[in-house]
Amino acid sequence: MEGRRVRSFSEYDPAVTAVYFAAVMGLAMFSNSPAITLLSLCGALLYFFSLNGTSGGRFHLFAFLLFIILAAVNPLVSHNGTTVLLVVNDRPITLEALIYGLCSSVLITGTLYWLRCFTQIMTTDKLLRVTGFLSPKLSLVLSMAVRFVPLFGRQWQKINNAQRAMGLYREDNAIDGARGSLRVFSVLVTWALENGITTADSMEARGCGVSRRTSFHKFRLRHGDYILLAAELILFAGAASAAAAGAFDFSCYPSVTMAERDWRTYTGAAAYGLLVLLPVIIDMEARIRWSLLKPTGLALSIPERKNMP
Amino acid sequence: MIVIKSRAARGFIRLAIPFAVIPALAVLGTLVFDKQKHLIVSMAAAAFALLLFVTGFEKKSTGTRRLVIVSVMTALCFAGRFIPILKPVSALAILTGLYLGGEAGFLTGAMTAVLSNFYFGQGPWTVFQILAWGIIGLGAGILSEPLKKSRISLIIYGIVSGVAYSFIMDIWTVLWYNQSFSWRLYRLALISAIPYTTSYVVSNVVFLWLLAKPVGEKLERLHKKYGI
Repeated sequence: MEGRRVRSFSEYDPAVTAVYFAAVMGLAMFSNSPAITLLSLCGALLYFFSLNGTSGGRFHLFAFLLFIILAAVNPLVSHNGTTVLLVVNDRPITLEALIYGLCSSVLITGTLYWLRCFTQIMTTDKLLRVTGFLSPKLSLVLSMAVRFVPLFGRQWQKINNAQRAMGLYREDNAIDGARGSLRVFSVLVTWALENGITTADSMEARGCGVSRRTSFHKFRLRHGDYILLAAELILFAGAASAAAAGAFDFSCYPSVTMAERDWRTYTGAAAYGLLVLLPVIIDMEARIRWSLLKPTGLALSIPERKNMP
Repeated sequence: MIVIKSRAARGFIRLAIPFAVIPALAVLGTLVFDKQKHLIVSMAAAAFALLLFVTGFEKKSTGTRRLVIVSVMTALCFAGRFIPILKPVSALAILTGLYLGGEAGFLTGAMTAVLSNFYFGQGPWTVFQILAWGIIGLGAGILSEPLKKSRISLIIYGIVSGVAYSFIMDIWTVLWYNQSFSWRLYRLALISAIPYTTSYVVSNVVFLWLLAKPVGEKLERLHKKYGI
Protein backbone atom coordinates (compact mmCIF):
# COMPACT_ATOMS: atom_id res chain seq x y z
CA MET A 1 0.00 0.00 0.00
CA GLU A 2 1.26 3.42 -0.88
CA GLY A 3 1.96 5.60 2.13
CA ARG A 4 1.12 9.26 2.30
CA ARG A 5 3.73 11.19 0.37
CA VAL A 6 5.53 14.03 2.09
CA ARG A 7 5.50 16.84 -0.41
CA SER A 8 6.45 20.47 -0.25
CA PHE A 9 4.17 22.99 -1.97
CA SER A 10 6.29 23.07 -5.12
CA GLU A 11 5.93 19.31 -5.59
CA TYR A 12 2.16 19.36 -5.99
CA ASP A 13 0.66 19.09 -9.45
CA PRO A 14 1.51 22.11 -11.64
CA ALA A 15 -2.15 22.75 -12.44
CA VAL A 16 -2.93 23.03 -8.72
CA THR A 17 0.00 25.41 -8.25
CA ALA A 18 -1.09 27.53 -11.22
CA VAL A 19 -4.64 27.79 -9.86
CA TYR A 20 -3.24 28.84 -6.48
CA PHE A 21 -1.16 31.71 -7.86
CA ALA A 22 -4.00 32.87 -10.10
CA ALA A 23 -6.38 32.93 -7.13
CA VAL A 24 -4.03 34.76 -4.77
CA MET A 25 -2.88 37.39 -7.25
CA GLY A 26 -6.23 37.77 -8.96
CA LEU A 27 -8.03 38.58 -5.75
CA ALA A 28 -5.36 41.03 -4.63
CA MET A 29 -5.34 42.82 -7.97
CA PHE A 30 -9.07 43.11 -8.40
CA SER A 31 -10.22 43.95 -4.89
CA ASN A 32 -7.75 46.84 -4.35
CA SER A 33 -8.56 46.96 -0.67
CA PRO A 34 -5.62 47.70 1.63
CA ALA A 35 -6.48 44.78 3.94
CA ILE A 36 -6.28 42.25 1.11
CA THR A 37 -3.19 43.73 -0.54
CA LEU A 38 -1.37 43.93 2.77
CA LEU A 39 -2.17 40.28 3.51
CA SER A 40 -0.97 39.38 0.03
CA LEU A 41 2.33 41.22 0.51
CA CYS A 42 2.91 39.57 3.92
CA GLY A 43 2.14 36.09 2.57
CA ALA A 44 4.36 36.62 -0.46
CA LEU A 45 7.25 37.82 1.71
CA LEU A 46 6.89 34.85 4.07
CA TYR A 47 6.84 32.36 1.22
CA PHE A 48 9.75 34.09 -0.51
CA PHE A 49 11.77 33.81 2.70
CA SER A 50 10.81 30.17 3.18
CA LEU A 51 11.97 29.43 -0.38
CA ASN A 52 15.17 31.48 -0.41
CA GLY A 53 16.17 31.98 3.21
CA THR A 54 18.26 35.07 3.54
CA SER A 55 19.55 35.07 -0.05
CA GLY A 56 17.88 37.25 -2.65
CA GLY A 57 19.10 40.54 -1.18
CA ARG A 58 19.31 42.24 -4.56
CA PHE A 59 15.68 41.48 -5.28
CA HIS A 60 14.67 42.87 -1.90
CA LEU A 61 16.58 46.07 -2.65
CA PHE A 62 14.92 46.37 -6.06
CA ALA A 63 11.48 45.78 -4.57
CA PHE A 64 12.09 48.29 -1.80
CA LEU A 65 13.23 51.02 -4.23
CA LEU A 66 10.26 50.31 -6.48
CA PHE A 67 7.95 50.54 -3.47
CA ILE A 68 9.32 53.97 -2.50
CA ILE A 69 9.24 55.34 -6.06
CA LEU A 70 5.71 54.12 -6.80
CA ALA A 71 4.41 55.47 -3.50
CA ALA A 72 6.03 58.84 -4.13
CA VAL A 73 4.90 59.26 -7.74
CA ASN A 74 1.15 59.30 -7.15
CA PRO A 75 0.89 62.37 -4.86
CA LEU A 76 3.12 64.28 -7.28
CA VAL A 77 0.96 63.41 -10.27
CA SER A 78 -2.53 63.23 -8.89
CA HIS A 79 -4.01 66.22 -7.09
CA ASN A 80 -7.43 64.83 -6.26
CA GLY A 81 -8.54 64.57 -2.68
CA THR A 82 -9.76 66.93 0.01
CA THR A 83 -7.09 66.86 2.73
CA VAL A 84 -4.25 69.09 1.55
CA LEU A 85 -0.97 68.39 3.30
CA LEU A 86 1.24 70.97 1.59
CA VAL A 87 1.38 72.99 -1.58
CA VAL A 88 4.28 72.69 -4.01
CA ASN A 89 4.45 74.93 -7.09
CA ASP A 90 0.81 75.91 -6.59
CA ARG A 91 -0.14 72.27 -6.69
CA PRO A 92 -1.65 70.60 -3.65
CA ILE A 93 -0.17 67.38 -2.28
CA THR A 94 -3.08 65.53 -0.72
CA LEU A 95 -3.29 62.85 1.93
CA GLU A 96 -5.68 60.84 -0.23
CA ALA A 97 -3.28 60.72 -3.16
CA LEU A 98 -0.50 59.67 -0.79
CA ILE A 99 -2.63 56.82 0.60
CA TYR A 100 -3.65 55.77 -2.89
CA GLY A 101 0.00 55.63 -3.96
CA LEU A 102 0.90 53.58 -0.90
CA CYS A 103 -1.91 51.11 -1.60
CA SER A 104 -0.81 50.73 -5.21
CA SER A 105 2.78 50.10 -4.28
CA VAL A 106 1.84 47.53 -1.61
CA LEU A 107 -0.20 45.73 -4.27
CA ILE A 108 2.52 45.90 -6.91
CA THR A 109 5.39 44.81 -4.66
CA GLY A 110 3.25 41.98 -3.27
CA THR A 111 2.44 40.79 -6.78
CA LEU A 112 6.12 41.02 -7.75
CA TYR A 113 7.10 38.78 -4.84
CA TRP A 114 4.39 36.26 -5.75
CA LEU A 115 5.57 36.25 -9.34
CA ARG A 116 9.13 35.73 -8.23
CA CYS A 117 8.05 32.68 -6.23
CA PHE A 118 5.93 31.51 -9.17
CA THR A 119 8.87 31.72 -11.57
CA GLN A 120 11.03 29.81 -9.10
CA ILE A 121 8.52 27.00 -8.65
CA MET A 122 7.06 26.71 -12.15
CA THR A 123 9.92 25.26 -14.14
CA THR A 124 9.49 24.88 -17.89
CA ASP A 125 8.49 21.22 -17.76
CA LYS A 126 5.66 22.10 -15.39
CA LEU A 127 4.52 24.90 -17.67
CA LEU A 128 4.47 22.48 -20.58
CA ARG A 129 2.21 20.23 -18.55
CA VAL A 130 -0.17 23.14 -17.90
CA THR A 131 -0.14 24.43 -21.49
CA GLY A 132 -0.57 20.86 -22.72
CA PHE A 133 -4.08 20.96 -21.30
CA LEU A 134 -4.74 24.13 -23.26
CA SER A 135 -3.07 23.49 -26.58
CA PRO A 136 -0.92 20.43 -27.31
CA LYS A 137 0.42 22.00 -30.50
CA LEU A 138 1.73 25.17 -28.89
CA SER A 139 3.07 23.12 -26.03
CA LEU A 140 5.06 21.13 -28.59
CA VAL A 141 6.42 24.34 -30.13
CA LEU A 142 7.50 25.57 -26.69
CA SER A 143 9.14 22.34 -25.65
CA MET A 144 11.06 22.13 -28.91
CA ALA A 145 12.24 25.70 -28.53
CA VAL A 146 13.50 24.91 -25.02
CA ARG A 147 15.46 22.04 -26.46
CA PHE A 148 16.84 24.07 -29.38
CA VAL A 149 18.46 26.74 -27.24
CA PRO A 150 21.33 24.61 -25.83
CA LEU A 151 21.62 22.80 -29.16
CA PHE A 152 22.13 26.08 -30.99
CA GLY A 153 24.58 27.20 -28.32
CA ARG A 154 26.77 24.18 -28.94
CA GLN A 155 26.48 24.55 -32.71
CA TRP A 156 27.48 28.22 -32.41
CA GLN A 157 30.66 27.12 -30.63
CA LYS A 158 31.44 24.59 -33.35
CA ILE A 159 30.90 27.06 -36.19
CA ASN A 160 32.88 29.69 -34.33
CA ASN A 161 35.81 27.34 -33.84
CA ALA A 162 35.77 26.33 -37.49
CA GLN A 163 35.67 29.96 -38.65
CA ARG A 164 38.52 30.93 -36.38
CA ALA A 165 40.58 27.95 -37.46
CA MET A 166 40.15 29.15 -41.05
CA GLY A 167 41.44 32.52 -39.93
CA LEU A 168 38.34 34.37 -41.03
CA TYR A 169 38.30 36.93 -38.23
CA ARG A 170 40.16 38.18 -35.23
CA GLU A 171 38.38 38.76 -31.97
CA ASP A 172 40.61 41.60 -30.76
CA ASN A 173 39.31 43.86 -33.53
CA ALA A 174 35.80 45.00 -32.58
CA ILE A 175 34.43 45.58 -36.09
CA ASP A 176 36.00 42.40 -37.42
CA GLY A 177 34.63 40.53 -34.42
CA ALA A 178 31.10 41.82 -34.97
CA ARG A 179 31.23 40.87 -38.64
CA GLY A 180 32.53 37.46 -37.66
CA SER A 181 29.67 36.94 -35.19
CA LEU A 182 27.19 37.97 -37.85
CA ARG A 183 28.68 35.39 -40.24
CA VAL A 184 28.55 32.71 -37.54
CA PHE A 185 24.91 33.65 -36.88
CA SER A 186 24.10 33.42 -40.58
CA VAL A 187 25.67 29.96 -40.82
CA LEU A 188 23.84 28.93 -37.67
CA VAL A 189 20.46 30.02 -39.10
CA THR A 190 21.02 27.98 -42.25
CA TRP A 191 21.98 24.95 -40.23
CA ALA A 192 19.12 25.43 -37.75
CA LEU A 193 16.46 25.66 -40.46
CA GLU A 194 17.73 22.64 -42.39
CA ASN A 195 18.11 20.70 -39.17
CA GLY A 196 14.56 21.68 -38.25
CA ILE A 197 13.22 20.26 -41.52
CA THR A 198 15.08 17.00 -40.93
CA THR A 199 13.70 16.85 -37.39
CA ALA A 200 10.18 17.52 -38.63
CA ASP A 201 10.37 14.82 -41.29
CA SER A 202 11.71 12.35 -38.79
CA MET A 203 8.95 13.27 -36.32
CA GLU A 204 6.33 12.82 -38.99
CA ALA A 205 7.76 9.44 -39.96
CA ARG A 206 7.33 8.33 -36.36
CA GLY A 207 3.70 9.36 -36.31
CA CYS A 208 3.76 12.85 -34.83
CA GLY A 209 0.26 14.28 -34.78
CA VAL A 210 -1.41 10.92 -35.28
CA SER A 211 -2.53 10.42 -31.69
CA ARG A 212 -2.23 12.10 -28.30
CA ARG A 213 1.26 12.97 -27.16
CA THR A 214 2.74 11.46 -24.02
CA SER A 215 5.01 13.38 -21.68
CA PHE A 216 8.35 12.66 -20.06
CA HIS A 217 7.21 13.35 -16.51
CA LYS A 218 4.49 11.20 -15.11
CA PHE A 219 2.32 13.82 -13.52
CA ARG A 220 -0.61 12.18 -11.86
CA LEU A 221 -3.24 13.86 -9.72
CA ARG A 222 -3.08 12.27 -6.26
CA HIS A 223 -5.42 12.57 -3.31
CA GLY A 224 -3.33 15.37 -1.87
CA ASP A 225 -3.70 17.39 -5.07
CA TYR A 226 -7.48 17.18 -4.94
CA ILE A 227 -7.49 18.16 -1.27
CA LEU A 228 -5.22 21.14 -1.90
CA LEU A 229 -7.25 22.23 -4.92
CA ALA A 230 -10.47 22.01 -2.91
CA ALA A 231 -8.92 24.01 -0.06
CA GLU A 232 -7.73 26.68 -2.51
CA LEU A 233 -11.11 26.97 -4.16
CA ILE A 234 -13.08 27.09 -0.90
CA LEU A 235 -10.85 29.77 0.61
CA PHE A 236 -10.89 31.74 -2.63
CA ALA A 237 -14.67 31.51 -2.83
CA GLY A 238 -14.99 32.68 0.78
CA ALA A 239 -12.75 35.71 0.26
CA ALA A 240 -14.13 36.53 -3.19
CA SER A 241 -17.76 36.39 -2.08
CA ALA A 242 -16.99 38.75 0.80
CA ALA A 243 -15.24 41.09 -1.64
CA ALA A 244 -18.13 40.87 -4.09
CA ALA A 245 -20.61 41.69 -1.30
CA GLY A 246 -18.69 44.90 -0.76
CA ALA A 247 -17.12 43.99 2.58
CA PHE A 248 -13.73 45.35 1.46
CA ASP A 249 -14.92 48.36 -0.49
CA PHE A 250 -12.41 51.12 -0.32
CA SER A 251 -12.03 54.36 -2.16
CA CYS A 252 -9.57 57.19 -1.79
CA TYR A 253 -11.16 60.02 -3.71
CA PRO A 254 -12.53 62.51 -2.81
CA SER A 255 -11.86 61.36 0.75
CA VAL A 256 -10.84 58.01 2.18
CA THR A 257 -13.91 55.85 2.79
CA MET A 258 -14.05 52.25 3.92
CA ALA A 259 -16.95 49.83 4.09
CA GLU A 260 -18.47 49.18 7.50
CA ARG A 261 -16.72 46.25 9.12
CA ASP A 262 -19.05 43.36 9.84
CA TRP A 263 -18.71 39.57 10.08
CA ARG A 264 -18.22 39.34 6.30
CA THR A 265 -15.12 41.47 6.48
CA TYR A 266 -13.57 39.31 9.17
CA THR A 267 -14.41 35.93 7.63
CA GLY A 268 -13.31 37.15 4.19
CA ALA A 269 -10.01 38.44 5.56
CA ALA A 270 -9.49 35.23 7.52
CA ALA A 271 -10.14 33.12 4.41
CA TYR A 272 -7.72 35.19 2.33
CA GLY A 273 -5.14 35.15 5.13
CA LEU A 274 -5.29 31.37 5.27
CA LEU A 275 -5.10 31.13 1.47
CA VAL A 276 -1.99 33.31 1.46
CA LEU A 277 -0.34 31.18 4.14
CA LEU A 278 -1.09 27.80 2.50
CA PRO A 279 2.32 27.25 0.86
CA VAL A 280 4.22 28.19 4.01
CA ILE A 281 2.03 25.87 6.10
CA ILE A 282 2.47 23.00 3.67
CA ASP A 283 6.24 23.45 3.50
CA MET A 284 6.43 23.66 7.27
CA GLU A 285 4.42 20.47 7.65
CA ALA A 286 6.67 18.67 5.16
CA ARG A 287 9.74 19.86 7.02
CA ILE A 288 8.44 18.64 10.36
CA ARG A 289 7.46 15.28 8.88
CA TRP A 290 10.91 14.86 7.41
CA SER A 291 12.55 15.61 10.70
CA LEU A 292 10.32 13.08 12.46
CA LEU A 293 11.17 10.45 9.84
CA LYS A 294 14.88 10.92 10.36
CA PRO A 295 16.32 8.55 12.96
CA THR A 296 18.23 11.33 14.69
CA GLY A 297 15.28 13.67 14.64
CA LEU A 298 17.66 16.64 14.77
CA ALA A 299 18.13 17.88 11.22
CA LEU A 300 15.25 20.17 10.39
CA SER A 301 15.68 20.41 6.66
CA ILE A 302 14.43 18.77 3.52
CA PRO A 303 17.31 17.07 1.66
CA GLU A 304 18.62 19.32 -1.11
CA ARG A 305 17.12 18.06 -4.34
CA LYS A 306 19.65 19.96 -6.43
CA ASN A 307 22.52 17.78 -5.25
CA MET A 308 20.89 14.55 -6.28
CA PRO A 309 22.05 13.07 -9.57
CA MET B 1 -18.57 20.77 -40.64
CA ILE B 2 -17.39 23.87 -42.45
CA VAL B 3 -19.91 26.67 -42.79
CA ILE B 4 -17.78 29.20 -44.61
CA LYS B 5 -16.44 27.75 -47.84
CA SER B 6 -13.81 30.28 -48.88
CA ARG B 7 -10.43 29.63 -47.29
CA ALA B 8 -9.39 33.26 -47.43
CA ALA B 9 -12.57 34.32 -45.62
CA ARG B 10 -12.00 31.72 -42.94
CA GLY B 11 -8.44 32.91 -42.40
CA PHE B 12 -9.62 36.50 -42.25
CA ILE B 13 -12.27 35.75 -39.64
CA ARG B 14 -9.85 33.67 -37.60
CA LEU B 15 -7.49 36.64 -37.29
CA ALA B 16 -9.98 39.52 -37.36
CA ILE B 17 -12.08 38.38 -34.42
CA PRO B 18 -9.28 38.06 -31.86
CA PHE B 19 -7.29 41.08 -32.95
CA ALA B 20 -9.85 43.59 -34.17
CA VAL B 21 -13.30 42.81 -32.79
CA ILE B 22 -12.34 41.92 -29.24
CA PRO B 23 -10.04 44.92 -28.65
CA ALA B 24 -12.80 47.17 -30.00
CA LEU B 25 -15.30 45.56 -27.64
CA ALA B 26 -12.86 46.00 -24.76
CA VAL B 27 -12.49 49.71 -25.46
CA LEU B 28 -16.27 50.11 -25.65
CA GLY B 29 -16.61 48.01 -22.50
CA THR B 30 -14.39 50.33 -20.52
CA LEU B 31 -16.64 53.22 -21.50
CA VAL B 32 -19.67 51.36 -20.17
CA PHE B 33 -18.22 49.90 -17.00
CA ASP B 34 -16.99 52.15 -14.24
CA LYS B 35 -13.42 53.40 -14.28
CA GLN B 36 -12.03 50.99 -11.71
CA LYS B 37 -12.65 48.04 -14.01
CA HIS B 38 -10.28 49.05 -16.85
CA LEU B 39 -7.59 46.64 -15.74
CA ILE B 40 -9.93 43.65 -15.51
CA VAL B 41 -11.64 44.38 -18.80
CA SER B 42 -8.42 44.88 -20.73
CA MET B 43 -6.74 41.80 -19.29
CA ALA B 44 -9.81 39.67 -19.91
CA ALA B 45 -9.97 40.95 -23.48
CA ALA B 46 -6.29 40.22 -24.10
CA ALA B 47 -6.53 36.73 -22.61
CA PHE B 48 -9.73 35.99 -24.52
CA ALA B 49 -8.22 37.13 -27.82
CA LEU B 50 -5.26 34.82 -27.28
CA LEU B 51 -7.51 31.92 -26.30
CA LEU B 52 -9.57 32.34 -29.46
CA PHE B 53 -6.45 32.46 -31.58
CA VAL B 54 -5.11 29.32 -29.92
CA THR B 55 -8.34 27.36 -30.43
CA GLY B 56 -8.42 28.45 -34.07
CA PHE B 57 -4.82 27.35 -34.46
CA GLU B 58 -5.52 24.04 -32.73
CA LYS B 59 -8.41 23.26 -35.09
CA LYS B 60 -6.48 24.09 -38.22
CA SER B 61 -4.16 21.47 -39.64
CA THR B 62 -0.61 22.78 -39.61
CA GLY B 63 2.26 20.73 -40.96
CA THR B 64 4.89 19.44 -38.57
CA ARG B 65 7.55 21.21 -40.64
CA ARG B 66 5.89 24.55 -40.07
CA LEU B 67 5.65 23.94 -36.33
CA VAL B 68 9.32 22.99 -36.11
CA ILE B 69 10.43 26.04 -38.11
CA VAL B 70 8.39 28.29 -35.80
CA SER B 71 10.08 26.77 -32.79
CA VAL B 72 13.50 27.20 -34.42
CA MET B 73 12.77 30.91 -34.90
CA THR B 74 11.43 31.13 -31.33
CA ALA B 75 14.62 29.61 -29.98
CA LEU B 76 16.72 32.10 -31.98
CA CYS B 77 14.63 35.02 -30.68
CA PHE B 78 14.84 33.70 -27.14
CA ALA B 79 18.62 33.43 -27.31
CA GLY B 80 18.72 36.92 -28.85
CA ARG B 81 16.92 38.40 -25.86
CA PHE B 82 20.04 37.78 -23.79
CA ILE B 83 22.10 40.23 -25.87
CA PRO B 84 22.43 43.33 -23.69
CA ILE B 85 20.70 46.56 -24.82
CA LEU B 86 20.15 45.61 -28.47
CA LYS B 87 17.43 42.96 -28.81
CA PRO B 88 16.81 41.22 -32.14
CA VAL B 89 13.46 39.72 -31.02
CA SER B 90 11.16 42.05 -32.96
CA ALA B 91 13.40 42.00 -36.02
CA LEU B 92 13.38 38.19 -36.17
CA ALA B 93 9.60 38.06 -35.59
CA ILE B 94 9.16 40.59 -38.42
CA LEU B 95 11.34 38.54 -40.79
CA THR B 96 9.45 35.36 -39.91
CA GLY B 97 6.13 37.06 -40.57
CA LEU B 98 7.45 38.51 -43.80
CA TYR B 99 8.55 35.23 -45.35
CA LEU B 100 6.45 32.55 -43.63
CA GLY B 101 3.16 34.40 -43.25
CA GLY B 102 1.48 36.42 -40.53
CA GLU B 103 0.48 33.48 -38.40
CA ALA B 104 4.05 32.18 -38.14
CA GLY B 105 5.21 35.71 -37.28
CA PHE B 106 2.57 36.00 -34.59
CA LEU B 107 3.49 32.64 -33.09
CA THR B 108 7.21 33.40 -33.08
CA GLY B 109 6.71 36.68 -31.26
CA ALA B 110 4.14 35.27 -28.85
CA MET B 111 6.03 32.11 -27.97
CA THR B 112 9.24 34.10 -27.42
CA ALA B 113 7.40 36.23 -24.87
CA VAL B 114 6.09 33.17 -23.02
CA LEU B 115 9.39 31.32 -23.05
CA SER B 116 11.83 34.11 -22.33
CA ASN B 117 9.76 35.38 -19.42
CA PHE B 118 10.78 32.27 -17.53
CA TYR B 119 14.12 34.00 -17.25
CA PHE B 120 13.08 37.64 -17.34
CA GLY B 121 10.09 37.29 -15.01
CA GLN B 122 6.64 35.93 -15.68
CA GLY B 123 3.62 38.09 -14.88
CA PRO B 124 0.37 39.59 -16.08
CA TRP B 125 2.46 41.71 -18.45
CA THR B 126 3.32 38.50 -20.33
CA VAL B 127 -0.17 38.67 -21.87
CA PHE B 128 0.53 42.16 -23.20
CA GLN B 129 4.00 41.23 -24.40
CA ILE B 130 2.52 38.27 -26.26
CA LEU B 131 0.06 40.60 -27.96
CA ALA B 132 2.64 43.29 -28.70
CA TRP B 133 5.29 41.03 -30.23
CA GLY B 134 2.68 38.82 -31.83
CA ILE B 135 0.96 41.72 -33.55
CA ILE B 136 4.31 43.07 -34.78
CA GLY B 137 4.94 39.69 -36.46
CA LEU B 138 1.38 39.46 -37.73
CA GLY B 139 1.54 42.96 -39.24
CA ALA B 140 4.73 42.08 -41.09
CA GLY B 141 2.95 39.09 -42.59
CA ILE B 142 -0.01 41.17 -43.69
CA LEU B 143 2.19 43.88 -45.20
CA SER B 144 4.69 41.42 -46.68
CA GLU B 145 4.21 42.53 -50.31
CA PRO B 146 5.26 46.19 -49.91
CA LEU B 147 7.83 45.40 -47.19
CA LYS B 148 9.65 42.85 -49.32
CA LYS B 149 10.00 45.32 -52.19
CA SER B 150 12.19 47.96 -50.59
CA ARG B 151 14.48 47.89 -47.64
CA ILE B 152 13.53 51.45 -46.70
CA SER B 153 9.90 50.44 -46.08
CA LEU B 154 11.11 47.51 -43.98
CA ILE B 155 13.26 49.84 -41.86
CA ILE B 156 10.30 52.21 -41.43
CA TYR B 157 8.16 49.27 -40.32
CA GLY B 158 10.90 48.42 -37.81
CA ILE B 159 10.87 51.96 -36.41
CA VAL B 160 7.08 52.03 -36.18
CA SER B 161 6.93 48.65 -34.49
CA GLY B 162 9.61 49.63 -31.96
CA VAL B 163 7.58 52.70 -30.99
CA ALA B 164 4.34 50.72 -31.04
CA TYR B 165 5.80 48.12 -28.69
CA SER B 166 6.57 50.83 -26.18
CA PHE B 167 3.11 52.38 -26.58
CA ILE B 168 1.35 49.05 -26.01
CA MET B 169 3.46 48.12 -23.01
CA ASP B 170 2.96 51.53 -21.40
CA ILE B 171 -0.81 51.13 -21.55
CA TRP B 172 -0.20 48.13 -19.35
CA THR B 173 2.15 50.09 -17.03
CA VAL B 174 -0.54 52.72 -16.46
CA LEU B 175 -3.33 50.20 -15.97
CA TRP B 176 -1.34 48.18 -13.50
CA TYR B 177 -0.28 51.17 -11.47
CA ASN B 178 -3.53 53.06 -11.50
CA GLN B 179 -6.20 50.38 -12.13
CA SER B 180 -7.83 52.76 -14.56
CA PHE B 181 -6.47 54.53 -17.60
CA SER B 182 -5.26 58.10 -17.31
CA TRP B 183 -3.77 60.13 -20.16
CA ARG B 184 -1.62 62.07 -17.76
CA LEU B 185 0.09 58.99 -16.37
CA TYR B 186 0.31 57.51 -19.86
CA ARG B 187 2.18 60.56 -21.08
CA LEU B 188 4.52 60.38 -18.10
CA ALA B 189 5.11 56.67 -18.65
CA LEU B 190 5.90 57.26 -22.32
CA ILE B 191 8.35 60.03 -21.46
CA SER B 192 10.12 57.97 -18.82
CA ALA B 193 10.34 55.07 -21.27
CA ILE B 194 12.17 57.12 -23.94
CA PRO B 195 15.54 55.37 -23.37
CA TYR B 196 13.87 51.97 -23.77
CA THR B 197 11.89 53.08 -26.81
CA THR B 198 15.10 54.34 -28.38
CA SER B 199 16.81 51.04 -27.72
CA TYR B 200 13.91 49.12 -29.30
CA VAL B 201 13.93 51.36 -32.36
CA VAL B 202 17.70 51.26 -32.75
CA SER B 203 17.87 47.49 -32.34
CA ASN B 204 15.03 46.96 -34.83
CA VAL B 205 16.76 49.16 -37.38
CA VAL B 206 20.20 47.64 -36.83
CA PHE B 207 19.05 44.03 -36.89
CA LEU B 208 16.63 44.47 -39.78
CA TRP B 209 19.42 46.17 -41.74
CA LEU B 210 21.91 43.42 -40.95
CA LEU B 211 19.67 40.37 -41.07
CA ALA B 212 17.07 41.24 -43.74
CA LYS B 213 19.18 39.87 -46.55
CA PRO B 214 20.87 36.78 -45.04
CA VAL B 215 17.91 35.52 -42.97
CA GLY B 216 15.36 36.57 -45.58
CA GLU B 217 17.18 34.62 -48.29
CA LYS B 218 17.28 31.52 -46.13
CA LEU B 219 13.58 31.68 -45.26
CA GLU B 220 12.73 32.34 -48.91
CA ARG B 221 14.80 29.34 -49.92
CA LEU B 222 13.03 27.22 -47.31
CA HIS B 223 9.72 28.34 -48.78
CA LYS B 224 10.80 27.40 -52.31
CA LYS B 225 12.55 24.15 -51.46
CA TYR B 226 10.10 22.65 -49.00
CA GLY B 227 6.92 24.61 -49.74
CA ILE B 228 6.50 25.92 -46.21
